[in-house]
Amino acid sequence: MASLKRSLDSDPLAANISSKVYVRSTKSGKVQKIVREVYLRQDIPCSSKLCRRCLNTSPRDAAGQPRPFVLSEAPAGTSVFQQGHYLVPDTNAFLTAMDLFEQDSAFYDVIVLQIVLEELRNRSLPLYNRLISLTKSEEKRFYVFFNEFRLETHVTRQDGESVNDRNDRAVRKAVAWYGEHLAGTGAPKVPAVVMLTNDRDNLRKAKAEKIPACSLAQYVNQLKDAEALLDMIPDTEDQETIIKDKRPGDPLYPEYFTISKLMTGVKNGLLHQGIFNVSLYNYLEGSIRVPAFPKPLIILGRENINRSIDGDLVVVEVLPKDQWKEPSTQVIEEDAVTKNENPDAEETGDIVSEKERKTLQEEVKRTQNKTTEGHAQPTAKVVGVVKRNWRQYVGHIDQSSVSQSSQQGRKQDTVFVIPMDKKIPKIRLRTRQVAELVGKRILITIDTWDRSSRHPTGHFVRSLGELETKAAETEALLLEYDVQYRPFPKTVLDCLPKEGHDWKVPGSVDDPGWRDREDLRGLLICSIDPIGCQDIDDALHSRPLPNGNIEVGVHIADVSHFVKPNNAMDTEASIRGTTVYMVDKRIDMLPMLLGTDLCSLKPYVERYAFSVLWELSPEADIVNVRFTKSVIKSREAFSYEEAQLRVDDHSQQDELTTSIRTLLALSRKLKQKRLDAGALSLSSPEVKVQMESETSDPIDVKTKELLDTMSLVEEFMLLANVSVARKIYDAFPQTAILRRHGAPPKTNFDELANQLRVKRNLDLSVESSRALADSLDACVDPSEPFFNTLVRIMATRCMMAAEYFCAGTQAYPEFRHYGLASEIYTHFTSPIRRYADLMAHRQLAAAIGYEGLHPAVRSRGRLEAVCKNINVRHRNAQLAGRASIAYYVGQALKGRSEAAVEDGFVLKIFSNGFVVLVPRFGIEGLIRLRDLAEPEPAAEFDAETYTLKTRGSREVTVELFGKVRVNVMDQKDEVTGKRGVKMELVSVY
Amino acid sequence: MPLDTSTYNLALLRVDGRRWNELRRVHAQIRTQAAADGSSYLEMGHTKVMCVVTGPTEPGPRRGGAAAGGAGGGGVGSGGAGGKAEIVVGIVIAGFSSVDRKRYGRGDKRTLELASTVSNALAASLHTNLFPHSQINISLHVLSQDGSLLAALINAATLACVDAGIPMTDYVAACTAGSTSTYAANDEGADPLLDLNHQEEQELPGLTVATLGNSDRVAVLVCESRVQISRLEGMLAVGVDGCKQMREILDRVVREKGVRMIQEGTVEKGVGLGDIDMD
Repeated sequence: MASLKRSLDSDPLAANISSKVYVRSTKSGKVQKIVREVYLRQDIPCSSKLCRRCLNTSPRDAAGQPRPFVLSEAPAGTSVFQQGHYLVPDTNAFLTAMDLFEQDSAFYDVIVLQIVLEELRNRSLPLYNRLISLTKSEEKRFYVFFNEFRLETHVTRQDGESVNDRNDRAVRKAVAWYGEHLAGTGAPKVPAVVMLTNDRDNLRKAKAEKIPACSLAQYVNQLKDAEALLDMIPDTEDQETIIKDKRPGDPLYPEYFTISKLMTGVKNGLLHQGIFNVSLYNYLEGSIRVPAFPKPLIILGRENINRSIDGDLVVVEVLPKDQWKEPSTQVIEEDAVTKNENPDAEETGDIVSEKERKTLQEEVKRTQNKTTEGHAQPTAKVVGVVKRNWRQYVGHIDQSSVSQSSQQGRKQDTVFVIPMDKKIPKIRLRTRQVAELVGKRILITIDTWDRSSRHPTGHFVRSLGELETKAAETEALLLEYDVQYRPFPKTVLDCLPKEGHDWKVPGSVDDPGWRDREDLRGLLICSIDPIGCQDIDDALHSRPLPNGNIEVGVHIADVSHFVKPNNAMDTEASIRGTTVYMVDKRIDMLPMLLGTDLCSLKPYVERYAFSVLWELSPEADIVNVRFTKSVIKSREAFSYEEAQLRVDDHSQQDELTTSIRTLLALSRKLKQKRLDAGALSLSSPEVKVQMESETSDPIDVKTKELLDTMSLVEEFMLLANVSVARKIYDAFPQTAILRRHGAPPKTNFDELANQLRVKRNLDLSVESSRALADSLDACVDPSEPFFNTLVRIMATRCMMAAEYFCAGTQAYPEFRHYGLASEIYTHFTSPIRRYADLMAHRQLAAAIGYEGLHPAVRSRGRLEAVCKNINVRHRNAQLAGRASIAYYVGQALKGRSEAAVEDGFVLKIFSNGFVVLVPRFGIEGLIRLRDLAEPEPAAEFDAETYTLKTRGSREVTVELFGKVRVNVMDQKDEVTGKRGVKMELVSVY
Repeated sequence: MPLDTSTYNLALLRVDGRRWNELRRVHAQIRTQAAADGSSYLEMGHTKVMCVVTGPTEPGPRRGGAAAGGAGGGGVGSGGAGGKAEIVVGIVIAGFSSVDRKRYGRGDKRTLELASTVSNALAASLHTNLFPHSQINISLHVLSQDGSLLAALINAATLACVDAGIPMTDYVAACTAGSTSTYAANDEGADPLLDLNHQEEQELPGLTVATLGNSDRVAVLVCESRVQISRLEGMLAVGVDGCKQMREILDRVVREKGVRMIQEGTVEKGVGLGDIDMD
């Protein structure tokens, strides 16, 4: 009987075969012992251009091509290693100071050992990916030496030796081998091979074995520009003091209170309930506005935020006074701080990562250094979530969190998704199709956020398409702002008139359509709108009356004639709430047939309208007003520009032009009256993207011009809205649909007022809208015409949002529209694109006895629900429109050959950066200190005077409201794959 | 955890330190079980299989039932009736053969497919027409798995058939070939790889090829992963080349065993062994 011998022992090549044994634990907690073969060889080159021996045996690929050698024959020297040197860093060196290795000024000719690469991969996938990209760059000369496969440098773990010790020994052995190997080349100047480690024990052992070794700090000190580089070395002390007291698997976040505890707490006033908002500039800081306090409470740090996400309705507990802090003056971006985290590594234990802890630490230091205690604001921590506001989020996979092996997409993998909305934290996603999803816009939802998980966990919903394609990005915006963009269903289209585009106002006055309609076809009516406007809501006319007064008419498309209450089209419109204008697309509230044809007050054709007719005195006082359904025939559809030209051209004396002139004169008086009453003239940076007509690619960005004719239309629309509001409120004091704009709390302006006082010695009084308007007018800087606009923009941001409401839900004084300084206001003039206007039309029709009031516009509960919806839709539509403009501005910038150098103004200052507004493009950008110069300059931040002064590598002084020149470009972040507008400071005025 | 296959391009080294065109260590023995008609034991790296051949014998009562039990199947030839011997292959995969202990049931589809592939491969070489109304039972036992399982099974079965003295045209030698980058990476410059281990099989596209002796006649070609057609030719060329190397190794094992048997006097140096090189 033949025996099965131990095959390996008898093999003459046994010395060349080793095995790698390790134990790993799976997700389910199973422990696996893995044994892998390792074939040891002697033909792994040292890759130094000095070495001839290795060149002869260098490996070739299948095509017979050898790899070129990487390490230079004359590497740079340092003050200690004059003869030149190669670096061999250990894992910790890469883990703590990867930025250092990416420097251009130093760190060339680096030997990356296989064992180091392995360890790094296990510790941080993003850092591993960065190192791999370094090894691919030709100028940095990073060579990966597979020490574990080379016979001479292979190390087997000894009894009682820890894995770390074994790996350290492997590094030392590789360094020693390199030293001997290079000495054997017989080169005249043999470079030193230097081990780089921060581990004291390892350094000591290296010394004993006579292996050249330095700590990172020692090494950098030997370099020429040591000063600058030293900053980038993290303190080793810091790391040692951080004790991991939490066991793996322990919950990272505090538990929420029980519902009953929350309820009683809120009732007793011990706990407070409110909507959680995350700061735009610091993802570790949130605020919550609760009814009990005039100022919002601050919530600082991950632990206190306790798994709440922007928009959640949460319950908070106020922290004791010694934990009160100032709101952060630092910009902290999640991408930057946590970019090296592993999506898989949940077992690292600490809730707050070391980096985050450090950023917070700096905060605390700063607050404690302050002598003035008055600035500290009450802080709170989240103790429970009443209602999650989770929705579907659009985002993309963080490229750096993807491991190479998952690229082919067979096994399930965990990756991070970076949501488009900066306020939403990274989301962990488990998927089997990483390879397909990388580089795509994807839609995901959040499922849970466990106490034991640092990031929320979600799942993939669907892919929208390639990143940065127009279709995907537009759909992403629509989804992100919850805009209903699907085509109208058949049930809706069935509600349209059968005649389609051939529908006409009936010729015979006896037709039921003419019932109670005034025939205003004889009036000289015209419409004035932006260029290319298809959905013409409004038209105007004026004519002198025999008594010296003037008759002015505002004619609004009679949408309510076509859209009957409670049919499918009405329901759809009430859900959509508003038309959304994107740069390249319009998402209609009503089907095209109505919006751009049958309702639209197109010129030269007869159309149904709802008219408001005033008798105005020459001083623009209302003598009389009446409302009527009518039939009109617009004489001309002007664009603002055309109308302006016509008015300015004095040779034009026809009746139509004179009537526009009359309107213009009246509108000026109306405006003056409004301003006298305290209406605010606010401002927001508005731009228009010019598109190429064929391809609709953005080519340029223009700031919107203000023309008199725009203000003409606006004034009469305001007048119509106010008149209608009064009428429907008189008729239906409980159910009238109105629009209010609350007076902003005075505290909203505290910061702006303080800033103006400190920087410009200007006073901002906010007692009333009148006082505010006056003090805003006074905010002028003679040398800087834009300063006033800047202040207005900032003031606008302190305001409340206007809202629709149902008259019965508020007391009369609360009806006030703060911005327009009007006691009562509604929306009536754009029924094609706003649902609120359509409801106002129905109510007004009922108020003048044209038709009975449909129950749908009579029930208060229903109206309130509709108001709530359209408020949200209205806001989302604005945000979506702005986001679309921002995206196209970026695209237009991308298309430019040269970078755009523009003037900008400093809007906000942090201790590590500042925000610049560029009016030319209507965009804001953050410039961080580290963007200013390489290395990051040191800076002094004076919160009292809002000044940031940098020293060192670049010296600039940046002040709030200061004018700067910036270089604006569109840039993609290589790490996260996020594209955005990026600014670079060129100079300070 | 060690690095994955994506680091190949850094230094042209595979996850276990081999170059693209290197086989793993192959160890083989024949006549490991004296009682059997033919037997063999084969290791390709950490993939270890054992094979026992009984026959040609009269067909048993159960048609197609493997002698060794376990996942039996893969009968080729029409049994007794067709004038050819039937090759019945049974494969048993030990529960402890992979990292996780796993039971392989009787009707495991993958095992049945492996058995049928092995059976077909051997049918190309064995002279089954010499044994009408009989059956050749091949039972294969997988003791340890680390990639290229099918190739190892074919190689072990060939050796055992040689040991059993069943007439055959030539060795059926098998091995695997792969490519250094994934289908998704779509890298045109990817190197072909010879003899994949388990990790490479998991991460990279690969195929199993078996050839008849020294010829380029392909007896088995199995590819279960997606790979660009442009890379297939290179992979196949490397695989066929690997099969030739494998044939040399198998041939050496047989000859060495033959020499030893003659030296030990187990067999006389006879006419049938006349062509064996005796040094």
